[in-house]
Amino acid sequence: MRVLTLVSAAAGLAALGLVAVIAWPVGSVPAPIELTGDSQRGAYLARAGGCIACHTNWDEGGPPLAGGAPLETRFGTFHPPNLTMSASAGMGNWTITQFARAVRQGVSPDGASYYPTFPYAFYANLTDQDIADLWAAFQTVPAVDTPAPDNEVPFPFDQRWGLKLWRAAFLPAPRTEPVEGKSDPWNQGRWLVEGVTHCGACHTPRNIAGARVMAQKFTGADALPGQDKSPAITPDALAENGWTRDDLAYALQSGIMPNGDTFGGGMGEVVRHGTSFLTDADRRAIATYLLDEDG
Amino acid sequence: MKIHTILAAATAAAIATTAIAHEGATGIVLERMKAMSAMREAVKEMTPMMRGQVQYDADAVRAAAQTIESHAGQAMIELFPEDASREKSYAKDALWQDFDRFADLAMQLETQTRGLALAAANGLGGDQGGSGGMMGTSSMMGQDTSAMMGGASGDTLSAEALADMPADAVFEKVSQTCSACHTPYRTKPE
Ligand code: HEC
Ligand code: HEC
Ligand code: HEC
Repeated sequence: MRVLTLVSAAAGLAALGLVAVIAWPVGSVPAPIELTGDSQRGAYLARAGGCIACHTNWDEGGPPLAGGAPLETRFGTFHPPNLTMSASAGMGNWTITQFARAVRQGVSPDGASYYPTFPYAFYANLTDQDIADLWAAFQTVPAVDTPAPDNEVPFPFDQRWGLKLWRAAFLPAPRTEPVEGKSDPWNQGRWLVEGVTHCGACHTPRNIAGARVMAQKFTGADALPGQDKSPAITPDALAENGWTRDDLAYALQSGIMPNGDTFGGGMGEVVRHGTSFLTDADRRAIATYLLDEDG
Repeated sequence: MKIHTILAAATAAAIATTAIAHEGATGIVLERMKAMSAMREAVKEMTPMMRGQVQYDADAVRAAAQTIESHAGQAMIELFPEDASREKSYAKDALWQDFDRFADLAMQLETQTRGLALAAANGLGGDQGGSGGMMGTSSMMGQDTSAMMGGASGDTLSAEALADMPADAVFEKVSQTCSACHTPYRTKPE
């Protein structure tokens, strides 16, 4: 008797807890953004942030930002959505506030959490002006009315409410704030590396729940999408492998490593569709920060 | 004492194996690794010139471009037959699943290195070298938001069109093609 009551009470509580988690609102509604965006600067940020790399299916020659190549992870296969301004298949009906919430907080217009395969955690410190610039740049992209396929994520990972627990446990704030006493290039590099260029998304190992292990930051990771592995990019590891600041800046421009070989894996895409479009000054800033040199 | 010697020998051996990563491969796998390594050497030879670190030498660039060209295109495609043994190979199975795209990239490398040989005499472009100035991607940094937002990339320009560009701009298209093929079709040792 007693046991049964206990069990059903526990089950009832658990169910209640579940309902609470499912209903628990995540993120916050940002104040409206009324700034005028600069589409050129937004396009630059979209290159730096990998939005264009991930949301375009380059292998199939897909139109820009109309949906990316599938990302195969151990939690399932994710299809980066269509981000064109199509009303039926993309963001045509979105407001800039909804866009800001998606990019900075990882929360969809209807309040659901996005999977961290979308590296929104790195974009959390983008300013309202950055968001306005990105939004202006996305307006210039031709609309494509074909939606990206749905994610293929098996149970239990298909339960988006579970991501709320994940967020509560694992969502790290990006450390992009300037450090006093460091040079301007170093601080600009920090802003890029820790934030929008999200180097840590692939170079920091992840735990069993897919969250980055910050104590092992930049020590390299395996089990990246498509069975990719990345090497360590700590200052020591880079120095050991003979990287200088100029070599690193040049590799981010050309994809060429000091031994004449070229990047493969996800890094090839990062350079080809991302860092090769940045200014020399920004690539040197990234290298300065990563090697922890003075500017 | 002895430990030290052993350690030193082990390190030397480790260095030796990284230097010749294709150790252990035989037959056609070894052949294509050697071809790839010859291309790597050619890239390595041109890089300091393209970066403005050493004196630019148009003849050396032309010769290195021709070396890569000789290993690209049909010559490269023939080194990847589907039915050969893949032992000790770092090629991914995806290569044979979308062989047409692999072959397109091999052909693109041939076109681009032919273009580089023609462009060698043009010398370097901008004063900064690299992506500044007038290279193919330059419009993306200028007024043209559409290209910056993922529009036409200029990857498929003809050799004749490339021949009018600064050598360093063509060189970067070449290296991006190496990388574009390594991204989907090659795994890393270790
Ligand atoms: C590593 C790949 C990757 C990168 C880089 C990336 N995204 Fe995404 N993005 C995704 C995936 C995957 C999803 C879908 C997540 C989900 O289904 O929960 C997504 C979802 C989105 C959404 C929600 C779309 C919708 O229809 O609900 C927006 C908006 C978005 N991304 C914008 C951006 C912007 C802006 C950038 C660059 C600053 C960016 N993304 C960079 C992979 C990426
Ligand atoms: C999409 C995942 C991804 C992202 C994002 C990424 N990398 Fe990488 N990186 C890789 C992979 C995979 C490799 C291994 C490359 C190979 O196989 O040739 C790599 C290799 C490297 C290397 C070579 C290290 C060595 O000694 O061999 C450097 C340096 C590097 N990345 C720097 C960066 C920087 C800087 C950033 C941010 C601007 C970055 N990476 C972002 C996946 C990524
Ligand atoms: C069309 C595809 C393609 C292109 C273009 C290409 N590669 Fe490769 N490369 C591969 C593949 C696949 C492998 C792995 C071969 C194997 O292990 O069987 C490889 C391997 C290599 C290796 C390692 C060889 C070894 O000893 O294991 C080097 C170095 C290399 N490539 C350099 C280059 C350079 C430099 C370029 C451009 C000038 C280039 N590759 C262009 C597909 C390509």
